[in-house]
Amino acid sequence: MIAMDVKEIESGYGEVQILWGVSLQLQEGHLTTLVGSNGSGKTTLLRTVMGLIPAWKGTVNFDGQDVTRLSPHTRAQMGLVMIPEGRQLFTDLTVMENLEMGATPGRARAGFQRNVEWIFDLFPRLEERVRQVAGTLSGGEQQMLAIARGLMSNPQILMLDEPSLGLSPLLVLNLFEVIRRLKEQGHTMLLVEQNVQMALAVSDYAYVLSNGRIEIEGEAKRVREMESVRKAYLGL
Amino acid sequence: MNIDALVPSSIDGLMLGFVYGLAAMGLTLIFGVMRVINLAHGPVIALGMFAVYLIGTQFGVNPYLGLIAVLVLGLVLGIVMYFVAVHRVINAPELTTLLATFSVNLMIIGLGTVVFTTTPRAIDMDLGAFRTGAITILGTKVVAVLIAIAVTVGLYLFLYRTRVGKSIRAVANNRAAAELMGINTTGVLALSFGIGIMLAMTSGGLIATLFSFTILAGGVYELKSFVIVVLGGLGNPTGALVGGIVLGLLEGLTTIFMPVGWVPIIEYGVFVLILLIRPTGLFGAR
Ligand SMILES: Nc1ncnc2c1ncn2[C@@H]1O[C@H](COP(=O)(O)OP(=O)(O)OP(=O)(O)O)[C@@H](O)[C@H]1O
Ligand SMILES: [Mg+2]
Repeated sequence: MIAMDVKEIESGYGEVQILWGVSLQLQEGHLTTLVGSNGSGKTTLLRTVMGLIPAWKGTVNFDGQDVTRLSPHTRAQMGLVMIPEGRQLFTDLTVMENLEMGATPGRARAGFQRNVEWIFDLFPRLEERVRQVAGTLSGGEQQMLAIARGLMSNPQILMLDEPSLGLSPLLVLNLFEVIRRLKEQGHTMLLVEQNVQMALAVSDYAYVLSNGRIEIEGEAKRVREMESVRKAYLGL
Repeated sequence: MNIDALVPSSIDGLMLGFVYGLAAMGLTLIFGVMRVINLAHGPVIALGMFAVYLIGTQFGVNPYLGLIAVLVLGLVLGIVMYFVAVHRVINAPELTTLLATFSVNLMIIGLGTVVFTTTPRAIDMDLGAFRTGAITILGTKVVAVLIAIAVTVGLYLFLYRTRVGKSIRAVANNRAAAELMGINTTGVLALSFGIGIMLAMTSGGLIATLFSFTILAGGVYELKSFVIVVLGGLGNPTGALVGGIVLGLLEGLTTIFMPVGWVPIIEYGVFVLILLIRPTGLFGAR
């Protein structure tokens, strides 16, 4: 089943067009990865899908609805959740308050306590620091909190924009372990990652974005074998 | 110079300081959440004065009960003001939002002058007084202080203990992230503006139980609010209360040593000094 259908998206900033008719589909329960070099438009695509910047053309279908004209918070309420690049935590609020804010959508309220326990199981470090102000966490802890906050909303679709950015190699491994667990639990995810090798290894499906266009798509293990992908993104 | 007046005058100033702090809290909350400096702050304070006065004279309602109506009225007025004057320019440069709120200021003053004229009004309130030696404390002032404290505590509990209050702090902290978390940021901005206006009107209502006033009377308190906000740190509601108390005390002391006319001069001296030495405010963290 298709969880989200993005069709022929064009968008950009001001007069500058970045995306030139991007289409992608997320299969329910699948981990889909979006690969592309710096500046290829990955973040722009996620921002457009989320509604943070308007789509000039094209549509985003989600939850059986055309959500292209809905506000970002409405999409989030519906279960389309993005963990943005660069954490974007509520740095003046405590860890617990950040989690509470993550659970804003009505659909996340009932299971709040259960979700908190689940989060602390995934990130034991956060449990030790519930009362701490988020801005004083270490970089790695902040990244965990950013992911945890997104998970608190019971997302139907989770989009992660470079979640491993700035993490130590060990934490990157932990992060991929968490992503694997989320996948096992049946979450539908769209992952943007610098660690293309690792991202492709855990993903079901992959899209390669180049200069604002989808250049390649296919099953992740196929894409991983492609000569052009190996050269351009895997450094092989 | 009258040294006997030192204690009574300090107490008097201190008590007024709570009410000034309440007014400043309205200004600083709005700034803290949306980076908008509300130049209609003074006229809104004056509206609070008139609201309590009119509710009292028209319906024979006790001014303190009238204040409850003013709370609701302020909230509604603030939300309407947000959508009429602020929302469309919320992301515009600061000068635009200054002009937007300044036009609201002109409208309130203009209409208010036509409707109410500039004849001074006063609320007839007498709760007696406590006297010991040279010290006289008016009952109305005690009640004003207690209400100011109650409103401050209420605001604090709201911001730190309730989900909606926390989302106000979240929006103040990172509006884009709040939107991503499913928080209706436009609604939160409107509500915050409403609460800011509510606080300003409430302080106006309290001031009206202490002094006579006209539609122009808010101006003085608007300027005091700016000084207090700078003292307490922009965007910091608890700092505003402390700043208010400091300013009130300073005012009480000033009047002992020099004519009342000097009060504003001393206040703006402090204002400029703090801007020069500690622009984040005496209690500002950032
Ligand atoms: N706010 C903005 N205003 C103008 N141009 C922007 C803005 N944000 C991004 N761009 C431009 O859009 C293009 C695509 O940027 P985008 O952030 O989507 O790339 P990306 O694929 O996410 O890159 P990275 O891997 O570095 O995160 C870049 O050329 C960038 O300079
Ligand atoms: Mg990016």
